Amino acid sequence: MQPVVLLISLILMAALTAAFWLAARASRGEAPGPKANSKRTGLIWAMTIAGVIISVGSLRQWPHALASTGDALEVHVSGGQWWWDIDTTEIPAGTPVNFNVTTEDVTHGMGIYDSGLTLLTQVQAIPGYTTKVTYTFTEPGTYQVLCMEFCGVAHHDMVNEFEVVAAEE
Amino acid sequence: MSTASEPAAAGHAAVEPSAAPQAGAVKLTMILSGAVFALMMVFGLIMRAAQGQWIELDPALFYQILTAHGAGMVGTAALSGAAILWYFSGRHVVLTAGIFWAFLGLFLLGVVLILGAIFVGGYGGAWTFLFPLPALSGGAWEAGAAAAFMLGYVSIGVGFLLYYLELGRQIHARYGSLARALGWNLILGREDKNPPPPTIVAAAAVTIFNSIGIILGAAVLVASLVHLLVPGFEVDALLAKNLIYFFGHVFINASIYMAVTAVYEILPEYTGRPWKSNRLFAIAWNAVLIFVMAVYWHHLLQDVVMPPWMLVVGQLVSYFSGIPLIAVTAFSTFLYVRGSRMTWDLASSLLVLSVAGWSVGSIPASIDGMISVNKVMHNTMWVPGHFHTYLLLGEVAMAFGFMAWLVRGKTISQMGGLDRAAFVTYLAGAAGFVTVFLFSGAASIPRRWAVHYEEWLTHDRIGTLFSVLVVLGTMVFVLRFVARLGRSGD
Ligand code: HEM
Ligand SMILES: [Cu+2]
Ligand SMILES: [Cu+2]
Repeated sequence: MQPVVLLISLILMAALTAAFWLAARASRGEAPGPKANSKRTGLIWAMTIAGVIISVGSLRQWPHALASTGDALEVHVSGGQWWWDIDTTEIPAGTPVNFNVTTEDVTHGMGIYDSGLTLLTQVQAIPGYTTKVTYTFTEPGTYQVLCMEFCGVAHHDMVNEFEVVAAEE
Repeated sequence: MSTASEPAAAGHAAVEPSAAPQAGAVKLTMILSGAVFALMMVFGLIMRAAQGQWIELDPALFYQILTAHGAGMVGTAALSGAAILWYFSGRHVVLTAGIFWAFLGLFLLGVVLILGAIFVGGYGGAWTFLFPLPALSGGAWEAGAAAAFMLGYVSIGVGFLLYYLELGRQIHARYGSLARALGWNLILGREDKNPPPPTIVAAAAVTIFNSIGIILGAAVLVASLVHLLVPGFEVDALLAKNLIYFFGHVFINASIYMAVTAVYEILPEYTGRPWKSNRLFAIAWNAVLIFVMAVYWHHLLQDVVMPPWMLVVGQLVSYFSGIPLIAVTAFSTFLYVRGSRMTWDLASSLLVLSVAGWSVGSIPASIDGMISVNKVMHNTMWVPGHFHTYLLLGEVAMAFGFMAWLVRGKTISQMGGLDRAAFVTYLAGAAGFVTVFLFSGAASIPRRWAVHYEEWLTHDRIGTLFSVLVVLGTMVFVLRFVARLGRSGD
């Protein structure tokens, strides 16, 4: 997902930069004609319509939806300054996993990274609350939990790992 | 590009800056802002070099510098924005000089408390003082240091409330009501013989939303302070987080919305086309007034216990905030600039750049405001990537453009060699610096990590090199400003 997000962002940013560049160069050119305001109206409509489509498309399936408890493996992760405790060290691939995340002190962020250090999903760990996030692993291997919310001097040391193993047939 | 001899530019160069009321206080504030921006950028450079392992920095010190950089930059953006808004509001309403001095005094008192808390007391809980971290440092700092840090914020907040009270009071006196100053007559199609100019519309909107932000910020500061002193006094961590991000989001955005008045007031001197309030402009600002407060939930998209509708609002408003910015502010800039025969000196170049940087920076921000994207981008380097875009290339460019305009000569002429070199260096450095952050975010590098893995060092090192360019460009802007102020005898 991240490379696509980066690419789309850079394209849109470059396009808007180009619009500024062209306007600056056109300071020596023609003044805007009478059509300028209808162009603006068009832009507002285009942005509104695109916004409605993007919003509906990206929210129709709730991004924080959890797997139903019947099908899923429940894993409990608790955090504290500066450690993660994961109650399951071997997780089967292909099964939805519900991570139930708590903290014993300050706010932390539970980020799950694959062995190539790509962030797969995350959820905040908030004092007094249990937060949940579902993820289904496809590849067996070693995964890491990194802290995603600044939590003091050893924030960057708050790392632990777990294994994902091939599903038994 | 044009030259000084052209009538369109020369005809608009005549307004004497020193004729403005309280120009001295504003100039002093801009010297302070320029100096602190430069110093905090050096702090940023140190952090980037430490992440790239070119220098060695104890993590505790890294997080102290991170705290100083965050609080210092946000504070200075707000300070410079406030000076700009005060200066240009003074063209339309009469403001009491004593209030500005009180504001500046309280601000500086706050700075002393904050710097003491960090570098004497060892406070390194970040500028966001996320509850209950200030009270639970794991031995890195004492409660007293955290308290001093928060009292520093309180002092700055009180100063800002005085500032907005005076601004709101004088706008009310001149325009009869804040609603009229917000352009409601324009919106409702009622006749208004004396419609509020853009600066006053901006001033009215910022006065309202930033006062609300600061009051809610004060509430959570007081609760956190009591919690430090009375350990049994508990605060709901999620509620505190809501209040902190409401305050933080509104406050940093207010700095841009104050500073943009420099664009409204200065650019017309170059283009010969006044920046006017009309119905669309008023609608845009009233939308901003709501959006800027409703959008803060995009900071809590991974706090999944929040009511879902709040997260949905956070996502929707993140996107739709782009419409007033791009279709109104940026689009109007295009129209004013096109065919204007304007002269591109340092001031006008920086001000047009600032609108570009602000608008372009909003794109990665709204994309990260999508819950599904945020799942893998939240608290990665993507976040400093987008906010440095609209701060370095937006608010700070507005401030530097305003400073260049304050010390411009009697005639406007195209950029000279040094100005051009500084401008290009700053632009190239900042653009490269933020682009590296965006790539780092896409590479899943978490933000606010003092120590980086081997795999990430290339990003950090390229980022460090670009930061050097930003610092160099900034040094020229600031020193040039001080030198020219001295020459004109202020
Ligand atoms: C040469 C220019 C600059 C450099 C090299 C720089 C560098 C940095 C670095 C390395 C970080 C920490 C990144 C991380 O999370 O790992 C950071 C964070 C930050 N910067 Fe900058 N920065 C610069 C300019 C600015 C400016 C102009 C502003 C605002 C006006 C600003 C505001 C911030 C804020 C608010 C943070 C977040 C602090 C936190 O996470 O607590 N920076 N910057
Ligand atoms: Cu943590
Ligand atoms: Cu952490």
